[in-house]
Amino acid sequence: MPEPMDATSPLLELRGIDKTFGAVQAVRGLSLSVPAGEFVTVVGPSGCGKSTLFNMVAGLDEPDTGGAMRFKGRGCHARELLGRVSFMPQRDLLLPWRNVIDNAILANEIEGADRKTARAKALRMLPEFGLTGFEAQYPHQLSGGMRQRVALMRTFLFERELMLLDEPFGALDALTRSIMQRWLLDVWERHRRTVLFITHDVDEAIFLGDRVLVMTARPGAVKLALPVNLPRPRPAELVTSPEFIAIKREILAAIEEESMKSFQSSGMAA
Amino acid sequence: MSGAVALPAPRGAAGLRRAAPVLMGLGRLVLGLGIAAAVWEGAVLGFGIRPEYLPRLSAILSTIAATPEAYAAGFLRTALETLIGFAAGVAVGVLNGVLFLRAPVLRDMLFPVFVVSQTIPVIAFGALVVLWFGNTLLAKAVIAFYLTFFPVTVNTLVGLQSVDPRQMALLRSFGATGRQVLLRLLLPSALPQIFVALRLGASLSLVGAIVGEWFGDTTGLGVILLQAMYTEQVTVMWAAILCAAVLGTGFYALVALAERYLVFWGAEA
Repeated sequence: MPEPMDATSPLLELRGIDKTFGAVQAVRGLSLSVPAGEFVTVVGPSGCGKSTLFNMVAGLDEPDTGGAMRFKGRGCHARELLGRVSFMPQRDLLLPWRNVIDNAILANEIEGADRKTARAKALRMLPEFGLTGFEAQYPHQLSGGMRQRVALMRTFLFERELMLLDEPFGALDALTRSIMQRWLLDVWERHRRTVLFITHDVDEAIFLGDRVLVMTARPGAVKLALPVNLPRPRPAELVTSPEFIAIKREILAAIEEESMKSFQSSGMAA
Repeated sequence: MSGAVALPAPRGAAGLRRAAPVLMGLGRLVLGLGIAAAVWEGAVLGFGIRPEYLPRLSAILSTIAATPEAYAAGFLRTALETLIGFAAGVAVGVLNGVLFLRAPVLRDMLFPVFVVSQTIPVIAFGALVVLWFGNTLLAKAVIAFYLTFFPVTVNTLVGLQSVDPRQMALLRSFGATGRQVLLRLLLPSALPQIFVALRLGASLSLVGAIVGEWFGDTTGLGVILLQAMYTEQVTVMWAAILCAAVLGTGFYALVALAERYLVFWGAEA
């Protein structure tokens, strides 16, 4: 049967994915689909296999045999996704010997882009990332929020349809974090990439996402997929609106249930 | 961090600001050397130390000034042997480190052999090398190499192995090849560790070259040292020691300067 390649097929689709590390099953029967252009956020109790999911989609870990992984409507192995999604891990992981511009173009350099062209492009993007005038600075001269913006710029410059962001604001203080969230939405609305975004912060998940996926306790699977029908652009005060609170209540209840499960099972094991 | 908020200063001002502490440091260095020289001169005169034990600094300097060509030739020859041995040791050491990282089997096979080779006293090894290579410049370079390559191998391997695996994963997710990971991540990450070995190697390679010269040659600081010892020319011996000290310090300073320039980001995690 020929593979469907119409516009309605999702950009990324996982069906019945398992992943086991030694004796530990991190992910079991995980299924999800991400339509092109959508901002999908993933929340769940700690240790639920969120990072395992990301490493598989980034191509770094191969899932166990049995499940199906489809990218742009075609079945594929995880390793075929290396270099095809732009991945941003939790830490900024900037190279200390490269200045802001050269860190930002690292992925482009690896894919063989002309260094001069890439630098010029990155230079034009600096204002959008709040880094004007800092192009020649080195990571140790920057604040945490700025380092994170350089890492995001590196992710945006590596132009792939799917962006994977793994708790990019996890290490920032609350104020910087909320500024960065609004800024990210602003940038995203202009560039319109498909985003898969991991967080443990429920507010962040709802505020950013078109859809929130709640994961079960380990072994991880999708427990709940909740659309967030809140209008964009989203103002900061949205988080106190009744619609927002209603969604939050539903998600918190689901997470609570899962946290209790993992708490009880670990209690029994002890 | 206040430095993060400050806008980058114009180039000229920054250059001046960076040059000022360097000049201050140089000034202090010259002052320190001057004081040490004065104490030396004064102590020999004041305590009436006999020149067989410690000649006056001025006497040593005038000995060098009497036949500067001999000392210059010796200095250059020894410097050349040191440099060739050091360069070869660094090249082989870094290569070994990369090889051992990529092929742990090779590491397990060769590493013990290297360790055994390093337990052979350099004097015994020197005799062998002279048998193999004769009284050539190459023989001295080989001994300098023998003392240099092992620390560089060990430190390169340690440096390469201490790379953050998350950083490796990031580069792989960009689709980087093994070569790209090596050149863009592994080697730069290992640089601080490698430089620790380079500083060690700078002093060791000089030792290797001088010991090598003792097995027979006609020029070199080691030759001057040995001849002065046999003929009991204490001032000449001290002159050779002074030249060796200048060579060793200068070489070490060059390596440290290269380190300061290349590993500018410090030991930041």
